[in-house]
Amino acid sequence: MTAPEEALERARAAAERKRAEGVYPPPREGALDFARPDRELLAEWAVLQGDPQAVYSTRRLGGPITAVKRLLLRALRQYLLDLEARQTRFNVAMLDRLDELERRVEELERRG
Amino acid sequence: MTRVHQIVSGAGPYDAVTAQALAWRDELASLGMTGDVYAGLLDPRVRGTVRPLERIDTADLLVIHHSAHAPGLRRLLGRPERRLLVYHNVTPARFFWRHHPGVAVACALGRAQLPDWVRGCHAVAAVSEFNARELREAGAPEVVVVPPVLVERDGRPASHPAAGSGPLVLCVGRLAPHKRHDLVIETFALYQRGCAPDARLLLAGEPLSAAYRVLVERQVEASGARRAVVAGGLPQAALKGAFEDAAAGGVLLSMSEHEGFCIPLLEAFGHGVPVVARQAGAMGEVGGDAVLWSDPDPAVAAELIDLAVRDRELREELTRRGRARLSGHGWREPMQRAVEAALG
Repeated sequence: MTAPEEALERARAAAERKRAEGVYPPPREGALDFARPDRELLAEWAVLQGDPQAVYSTRRLGGPITAVKRLLLRALRQYLLDLEARQTRFNVAMLDRLDELERRVEELERRG
Repeated sequence: MTRVHQIVSGAGPYDAVTAQALAWRDELASLGMTGDVYAGLLDPRVRGTVRPLERIDTADLLVIHHSAHAPGLRRLLGRPERRLLVYHNVTPARFFWRHHPGVAVACALGRAQLPDWVRGCHAVAAVSEFNARELREAGAPEVVVVPPVLVERDGRPASHPAAGSGPLVLCVGRLAPHKRHDLVIETFALYQRGCAPDARLLLAGEPLSAAYRVLVERQVEASGARRAVVAGGLPQAALKGAFEDAAAGGVLLSMSEHEGFCIPLLEAFGHGVPVVARQAGAMGEVGGDAVLWSDPDPAVAAELIDLAVRDRELREELTRRGRARLSGHGWREPMQRAVEAALG
């Protein structure tokens, strides 16, 4: 029997052996990225674009309710586009300001 | 008769915090304290069991189960009732920015507002020592640790979506980024490739969103794993069936990166299912020596699964330790202490 306290070391050794034999691939990061978003990603997020697929019903047999909700979205499209545009305007302006501030901070740091 | 209302930020049919509030309600009723459960955001599937927050009436005590920000919750701090804060932990927002901006905002605000909740309540409680530390950092002088209720699953177990032969690797928890299903899937794919070609994987848990579920399904496809099922939220009977299936020769697997408690560990102990998990947040204090703790490396986790499945004596020792830990799990006495402290 392997004692629970010994299991991790045995598993590490087995994983290393199987990697050397080519059974397992080399270690790599998982598929998800939790790093702080970079400037490029922020610029992408700044431009609002709602996803109609995010509107659905969680009720059992909620198909017709989903259809009605999406119909309402279409009916409100002009209003929602205007909202998106206004918020996007603010986001883009804020990013520009941040860029400018970063440039100024860098300039000041360079001067010492 | 003392009136005690409980408030959760969001209520859903498979939500752990909602289940806790409902169990508290029943226990409080047996102590002569009646009241209802209210939610800031309400899934239609629990309407009738949980009420919308805007309908809350007066009580002697408000028990606020804090796990995220929700509109209208902060108004509770201005009400005349005594208040008890129960902290279930707020998942750090960094896990959600790329996948669900709304949840990310709720988490960011929920964490930022924690000191206000601590200041605004007459007593504070946490479901684990890990959470209690966060409350102390937020300014709480005294914290009562009230472990969560392990809700019994009544009735007969039912078939589940991954039923069949071969060892079952069961992963129970919301399909959300911090649970790291990407690592679970990779671990399973390696286990299937290197140890048990007939293994099955069941991912049971309500998805963060429809889009996130699709992302997880794509991860399964990309991994090359076969016999892997992304089931979504499961009814109690099917989940019970899945635990019993895993007890017969499988494991519970968690590669989660953040846990305020992790109730599925206790459920696994109760069903005699060995657990392979990555130690994160409160999991160490919950699982102790009854869990095979893994590195984040999926290859190591796959080998631990293989040990837990094949080594019968190791399996028996783990289930024995798990049952011993479960027997020490008590929530009624600390819950009463927390309620009494809040009532003053």
